[in-house]
Amino acid sequence: MTILLQLAAALYLAAGISGGVGVSLGSPRAGRAAIVLLLAGALAHAGSFVALHGVDPVPPLTELPMAVSFMAFVMVLTFLVFARRVALGSLAVVLGPMAFLGAFFAGLDSPEAESTSGAGAWPHAHVLLAGAGLAFLAVAAVAGAVYLLENRRLKRKRLQPGPGGLPSLESLDRLNAVALAVGFPLLTLGVLTGMMWTDGVYGKVFTGSAHEAWNAIAWLIYGVLVAARFVASQSARDAAASAVAGFAFLLFAVVGVGILA
Amino acid sequence: MRLLLVGLSHHTAPVELRERFSVDDAEPLLEKVCGSDAIEEAFLVSTCNRTEILVATRRLEEARLRLRSLFTREWPGDHGGDAGSALYEHLDSAAMVHLFRVASSLDSMVVGEPQILGQVKDAYRVAAGCGATRVVLGRLLDRALATAKRIRTETRIAERPVSVARVAVDLARQIFETLEGKRALLIGAGEMGAITLEALRAEGLVDVAVANRTPERGRQLAERFGAVAHGFDALPRLLSSSDVVLTSVGGSEPVVGAAMVQAAMKGRGHRPMFAIDIGVPRNVEPAANEVEGVYVYDLDDLDAVASSNADQRRREVSRAEGIVREEQQRFDGWMAALRAVPTIKHLRARAEAVRRKELERTLRRLELDDGQREGVEALTRAIVNKLLHAPLSRLRAGGEEETGLAYLEAARVLFALDDDEVPGAEADAFPGDAGE
Repeated sequence: MTILLQLAAALYLAAGISGGVGVSLGSPRAGRAAIVLLLAGALAHAGSFVALHGVDPVPPLTELPMAVSFMAFVMVLTFLVFARRVALGSLAVVLGPMAFLGAFFAGLDSPEAESTSGAGAWPHAHVLLAGAGLAFLAVAAVAGAVYLLENRRLKRKRLQPGPGGLPSLESLDRLNAVALAVGFPLLTLGVLTGMMWTDGVYGKVFTGSAHEAWNAIAWLIYGVLVAARFVASQSARDAAASAVAGFAFLLFAVVGVGILA
Repeated sequence: MRLLLVGLSHHTAPVELRERFSVDDAEPLLEKVCGSDAIEEAFLVSTCNRTEILVATRRLEEARLRLRSLFTREWPGDHGGDAGSALYEHLDSAAMVHLFRVASSLDSMVVGEPQILGQVKDAYRVAAGCGATRVVLGRLLDRALATAKRIRTETRIAERPVSVARVAVDLARQIFETLEGKRALLIGAGEMGAITLEALRAEGLVDVAVANRTPERGRQLAERFGAVAHGFDALPRLLSSSDVVLTSVGGSEPVVGAAMVQAAMKGRGHRPMFAIDIGVPRNVEPAANEVEGVYVYDLDDLDAVASSNADQRRREVSRAEGIVREEQQRFDGWMAALRAVPTIKHLRARAEAVRRKELERTLRRLELDDGQREGVEALTRAIVNKLLHAPLSRLRAGGEEETGLAYLEAARVLFALDDDEVPGAEADAFPGDAGE
């Protein structure tokens, strides 16, 4: 399992480097290579999940490193699905290193798993749904960050390195919108299943832990962002900036608070 | 076999002379050229920037006179009596290099332009169709096309646009996912605006509106693009529904103000707008670029991008020239091998004749059964092959260098190949024939 995770991490990192070459040299070939490397990394990553069943005891998905690894995996899959329609290979320059960190983190020693007795299937449902939601929102954030860079470049009339450079503003904005539209409902379901999990273990839906409090705030923030984007017709640039800021906060709430705790 | 190229191009002839030599149908001319005994194969390429004839010949001087006469006295229609000074010639390796450079657009007016490769391909198809290109020019043209493709793949010579219109298209692609379904507004009736709009339409942009100060001129332009003509009073409404705005209007004041753009953006749900301002003085207020979602590029901006792209192309030229040299050396090697073929065939035929003669004389004196005869036959063949192996290999590998030519000469003298006639030995052949 560890070897497959390390292989996936290495392939994600290579995809990031290839994406970087694609952006800096404007090489479409490097962008395509980044997609292939991400795909290979995702296969190795999937293999590592399959190999989990051979480990005794099977590490629960509710452990933070495992959850982050799952999130990275879904993020790469989401990206690969989008990349089938639009040439997004160069975005691997951001997404590759993020996926690398996710896979690498899973290989680290994890803290004792929280007891999930009495909670039934809610813990796994929570991790799967929240992890998938985070993955989509991560893709939205990557698209948003690149949108901001591209918007700045075009406004300042600076040259793109070449035809293999970054996707068009319209493509990035669409990617941001779709990822947000899918990611927020998944995150919401993740929060709800988390509440069910807490209820199963402690007999109440909210225990007042830091993790719960920060996540509730992050969910509320995302709720506002979604409303601004889809109800109040937020501009593409503001939506991009919101996606980046929202995800930074969410990442802190989910991973940062967990690490600090 | 020698290669000779004669022609004129934008380097040597003004457009009025070039257009007199422009050829729509090359076939009759190729037939005329190949009708000469001195010329084995011929190829003619004619574009708006050049007309060139390349021939493969064994009688160089005759071929040269034939081609010069064709250009200066026999050209169809209004023949070019004054073309003499505009004509240039390239011989052998220089002709190869020239053809490779032409096909790769290194000799074009705009280095890296894509049209010339298609034009050379078409010209090759015509020449091959009427049997004017065969072993030598056929292979040379295949190499020229392959070289051009290699240069396009391995260098960045054709990567970025160098015309204002193409730069505008390139920028539009960086803003919009696709131009299909997008709406363009052409403000003013300037020709540059129309040219740029044509380039955008070639990328899928269909829906066009035209606004002009003079309604009549606007209607003419609108008809050209299948669009509806409007007056300037409709600009605020048209702007809010347009994704690409092209302006090319005369006048000292901007036609499109920042406030007008700001208002238009509110009406279009913040969808991006790309404004290409080709007017001088500028038609779009520069402050419009500060409006969110609006990207205003004026002529200087587009020119700066085009110049920068042209600089990059120029930097790629030396890499492209290196590829041309590599390919030329490869083809030179093939030509050198081709040159050695008659001598090699002659030498083999001579050796075979001697072997057969001596074998027959010996076998007449011996009483051998069929198996023994075959054994002796195989023995003599093996001796001849082993003796010839090293010299023939050297002749084939000698190439075009002086030593290679000296080997060929030495072989002819040492084996007295020029002293006798060996049936079948003088036949022209493909290089591959020498290898058996």
